[in-house]
Amino acid sequence: MNRPGHSATSVSDIAVELTEVDKIFYQRQRSEKVRDVFKNLFRPNVREIRALQKVNLEIDCGEIVAYAGPNGAGKSTTVKLLSSVLAPTLGTVRCLGMDPMKDRVHYVKRIGVVFGQRTELWWDQPVAASFEWKRVVWDIPRDRYDAMLDFVKDLLGIDAFFNSLARQLSLGQKMRADLALMLMHEPEILFLDEPTIGVDVLAKRNMLEFIKNLNREKGVTVMITSHDMDELEQLAGRIVMIDKGHIAFDGDFQELRRQFGDHRHLIIETSDTSPPKLSGVQFVESKGNRHHFTFDAAQISIPTLLDQAAGQTTIRDVETHRAPIDDVIADMYEYWDGKGGEE
Amino acid sequence: MKTLTMLISRWWVQAYLDFMWMTRDFRFFFINIVSDIILNLAGVTAVFLLAERFEGIGLWSRDQIVFMLGYAALVRGFLDMGFSYNVLHISRRIGRGQMDHTLVQPQPVWMGLLTEGFMPFSGSWSLFTGIGIWTWAIFQLDAVFTMYWWLMFFSNLASSCAIVLSFSFVWGSLAFWAPVAAEEISSRAVNFMFQLKSFPLDGLSVYVLASMLTVLPVGFVAWYPCRQLLGIAPANLWHTPLVAVVLSLIAWILFKKGMQHYEQTGSQRYLGFGHRG
Ligand SMILES: Nc1ncnc2c1ncn2[C@@H]1O[C@H](COP(=O)(O)OP(=O)(O)OP(=O)(O)O)[C@@H](O)[C@H]1O
Ligand SMILES: [Mg+2]
Repeated sequence: MNRPGHSATSVSDIAVELTEVDKIFYQRQRSEKVRDVFKNLFRPNVREIRALQKVNLEIDCGEIVAYAGPNGAGKSTTVKLLSSVLAPTLGTVRCLGMDPMKDRVHYVKRIGVVFGQRTELWWDQPVAASFEWKRVVWDIPRDRYDAMLDFVKDLLGIDAFFNSLARQLSLGQKMRADLALMLMHEPEILFLDEPTIGVDVLAKRNMLEFIKNLNREKGVTVMITSHDMDELEQLAGRIVMIDKGHIAFDGDFQELRRQFGDHRHLIIETSDTSPPKLSGVQFVESKGNRHHFTFDAAQISIPTLLDQAAGQTTIRDVETHRAPIDDVIADMYEYWDGKGGEE
Repeated sequence: MKTLTMLISRWWVQAYLDFMWMTRDFRFFFINIVSDIILNLAGVTAVFLLAERFEGIGLWSRDQIVFMLGYAALVRGFLDMGFSYNVLHISRRIGRGQMDHTLVQPQPVWMGLLTEGFMPFSGSWSLFTGIGIWTWAIFQLDAVFTMYWWLMFFSNLASSCAIVLSFSFVWGSLAFWAPVAAEEISSRAVNFMFQLKSFPLDGLSVYVLASMLTVLPVGFVAWYPCRQLLGIAPANLWHTPLVAVVLSLIAWILFKKGMQHYEQTGSQRYLGFGHRG
């Protein structure tokens, strides 16, 4: 969590740099037919999966980047490339001025990784034991360790179950403990792969708040994946969308909404039970005198719509709100799905 | 020097974890001790009874047999104590995608593997069994043990441990390519070694003996080194250490190759119940 420049090896302000990265996996396909038994054994069908294709991505120190995309898009693969677990098939990966594969031991000391579906805690041990283990293996000086322990205990509320066995923790508690453990060596970059999976709303809000603070106060760079777009929008200024191994979008959330249509809902209460006829909108439903429409604010403005309606009936009340970001994304995935399929 | 301090601090913290774990639940701990002792004793009992009944086996006197059984139990004891948590059964770790955890730790992979399985409290009961049997044998045998003999005894013992471990790593490394199959093969091979380790192999046909010293190097777990240490055969006390060095080298190369493969493919097991792609 030291500012760049603290250590001799970090010379640039770029935390993460992927250049023309390809990652190809080979998956054996098995046929279920009995007559293919020998074929499966000796000449299995191998399918090539291009998990990442020509990915270019740069993250500056101090940024929070949301990394999203449909299932199987390549998010976890990217995180593994960035955390010294996998090597790219083609292209280069540089982080903090290092090659994560070649400089693994030095590099992982400066990053923190959480895979939401896994845990780094010693399963049959009290949470406290994992922290002690971490102190030794990461070689954390005692005073830094104590200070950091106070800090995470306080902010992530792990004190309550610090002496419980890891395998007895609830999902949310485990996640918090994992997050705390990951922070103990004060990493400069955090890679969080679905860290909020299974965490309740309150704990999630606290966790996001905590990550934000860490970024603001200590300048920690964060890359986070999630399927919850609202959560990502609260947290990150920048969103990178990946689809079938390609970067499909890289920008801010405003921009994302603009590109994929700024969907709004308009509910008008009139004196009639039949809806007014408006052009450039989709009619959703009418409940008594309330009529529900959706429209794209980039195409047509609210005053225009109200003018149209006022010409036909008496307006009693107007309500308008933005479609949740999840709807935007769902539309986007649907669009990609129709467009894609060349895989 | 730096490396040594790193190793010691890691063993120390593992010892601490083990102590915490052991004292957590006394009943569990007790069952654990008893089962370890029984397992290790069971591994040597049959041969002991034979030796007792026939006043020795072949060239071996009863006490020499007990010495060999003690030696074999010591090997098992050291491995149980030093390489639990599936380090000895490395195929499981590899096949189940647990290498990912090892890779995000700021230490060389070998250092993690060498220290993580250290369980001096809960894992040492089979070692105590070994020490017991072996000490008894030492007092029964009326021989003079020179400094040189002790030196050779300890290097042979260490070599025997290294041979079992390397053997497991040789087969275990297969898990990088074929996780499920390797787990089967490798854990059977290791168990087989432990079951056969206490039989004196004299009088076997050349072919069987050759395979027991190469493909399945059971002979080196106890029989071969003890024959030399006790002067039953001409004293080529360097053979076992030499085999240990060669086998460790092979294991190291294969494991390294496996890790390089892993960088490209990641955990294959993940796919079994994993993906959604
Ligand atoms: N070790 C592997 N071997 C073979 N194929 C793999 C491996 N890991 C991932 N894949 C494949 O690569 C593609 C990308 O997977 P990845 O796990 O990166 O997706 P993801 O974006 O994290 O998806 P999700 O949202 O479901 O977590 C998928 O098609 C997956 O099947
Ligand atoms: Mg994923």
